Amino acid sequence: MTIWQTIWAITLFGLLAVFVVLAVAVTVLGARDVIQMLQGLNDQLEQSADEQDEPARPPSE
Amino acid sequence: MPLEILHGTNFATVDWIIVGLYLAISVMIGLEVRRYVNSMAAYVGAGRQVGTWLGIATMTGTEMGLITVMYNAEAGMKGGFAAFHIGVIAGLVTLIIGLSGFIVGPLRRHGVLTIPEYYERRYGRNVRIVGGIILAGAGILNMGLFLKYGSVFIVGITGMNPNGNAVATVMTVMLLLVLFYTVLGGMISVVITDYLQFVVLSFGIVVTTVLAINQLGWQEIVSTVESRMQLGGFDPTASPVFGPSYVMWMIAAGLVSCAIWPTAVARALAMKDERSVRRQYTFSSISFAVRAIIPMFWGVCTFVWIANHAPENIQQHFLPNQTGGINPELADRFYAMPIYLGQLLPSGLIGVITAAMVAAFMSTHDSYLLCWSSVITQDVIAPLKNDNLSVRARIAITRCGIVCIGIFVWWWGLFYPGGGGLWEYMVITGAIYFTGAGVLLVGGLYWSRASRRGAMAALLTGCSALLGLGPIRTRLTDLLQSSTGLELKLTEAHVGLFSVCLTIVVFVLVSLCCPDDPAEDPLTAADDKLAAAGEES
Repeated sequence: MTIWQTIWAITLFGLLAVFVVLAVAVTVLGARDVIQMLQGLNDQLEQSADEQDEPARPPSE
Repeated sequence: MPLEILHGTNFATVDWIIVGLYLAISVMIGLEVRRYVNSMAAYVGAGRQVGTWLGIATMTGTEMGLITVMYNAEAGMKGGFAAFHIGVIAGLVTLIIGLSGFIVGPLRRHGVLTIPEYYERRYGRNVRIVGGIILAGAGILNMGLFLKYGSVFIVGITGMNPNGNAVATVMTVMLLLVLFYTVLGGMISVVITDYLQFVVLSFGIVVTTVLAINQLGWQEIVSTVESRMQLGGFDPTASPVFGPSYVMWMIAAGLVSCAIWPTAVARALAMKDERSVRRQYTFSSISFAVRAIIPMFWGVCTFVWIANHAPENIQQHFLPNQTGGINPELADRFYAMPIYLGQLLPSGLIGVITAAMVAAFMSTHDSYLLCWSSVITQDVIAPLKNDNLSVRARIAITRCGIVCIGIFVWWWGLFYPGGGGLWEYMVITGAIYFTGAGVLLVGGLYWSRASRRGAMAALLTGCSALLGLGPIRTRLTDLLQSSTGLELKLTEAHVGLFSVCLTIVVFVLVSLCCPDDPAEDPLTAADDKLAAAGEES
């Protein structure tokens, strides 16, 4: 039984420690990803708006 | 339930303000990102603009829902530390998937948005439609109890009277909020709120765990489990709650929950590229283990607190026997963990934790609602209409589907009679889909002789997992006992493992006996149609 107790203690505390590191990394780097995602979506939005405008342009342009 | 315990919760006005603020921010995000929704890819897949770290946050946010906390805490209360094996298996399987790219790598390479879309490429349109119907049906059934038990948590931790209409009222309010911002923003709002949830929840679970250990003491926690559960409280194979067949069933569930379950796979398919997918899974393996083990530990602490510190009538109510975990037959056992947290955490912090849990509740709901509804639109209705649906019509149908599923979940939560544990319900309802889907994906991606007829047969055979659902399984057990005269105890694990094995056998046999006609290659036909649909959108 002592072996199991040791295994679960290491699992719990080890996991908690690793999760703290992951949480800090994801909080910081995830914020950067949110900004990049919104920029990317903004570009897609502008691109699709341009494509919708194109047929309306006069042929001389 | 003895109601006086609810008066001991530390939830105060300031905590309501914290929760209210969080909900207001979530709704504002839904409104703000609405302008980005100009295509189905943007609505369902966040325009495939999700980076690795945001991917980890959103996968964790989705998979660590309030329902996850509730069913894992229940497992900890019933089975002690032995329940941790579920989390360890889930983490290891996710790590292996991340390192090897098994299933998710090739799927992302195919560039599909949903799993049934892959079915069409590999097995043809009919398999996609049938697969979509089974997937959506099983998925909606699977989330049927999310709303109810999420609301039970909120009622328990805030100290509302559970004997009145509190649960039904909280269910209604929460559902309306989730529907509002999911319908508006789709996957983009889901991803951003998932990120917020990750930040708040990570802080919350670490602080709560440290406080629980500090209050009870590690030695007391271990010795109480040891004295009441003996070896079964630590060794899953010796536990009366789990046992060897349960552990095997959990290996299948671990693989499914990360690599086949559509809400998790939807995250993989929304990633920028395959490399990001694999990194996402590798790092998320920690979250997959944490999402199970930490709430299980809270469940263990709840059990220890009731056994050693709760008033006598509470002890008698939840722990009527001198040995074993919390009474699994008790209908209100799900109140135990939130009530414990309500007494453990100080005012202010309890508001933050509740906000995090509400966030978990909402992010799971929004993801699941969006996932099942988009499956109905993309994989059932659109193929039936020969893809003659405009982007606007698809988004409108998806939004209607979200509302209809929400109403069903509300109804099911109120009226489903239950039977068995919550986690067991989740796995067996999921199995209706994943037994067939897992075989189709692995067979389709890695076995060249997998055929369309084999796929269809496997999908239908996978539905046999339905026999494991509480009320149906009870009748099946009675029927088997009366016909054979033997004392049989049929568990969800037995039915699930049988269903998985049967589906594999049927898939292989039918594929070998009825191979595809090379002249009708669905890969080429589907590629042409998808290319045409892509140009159109």
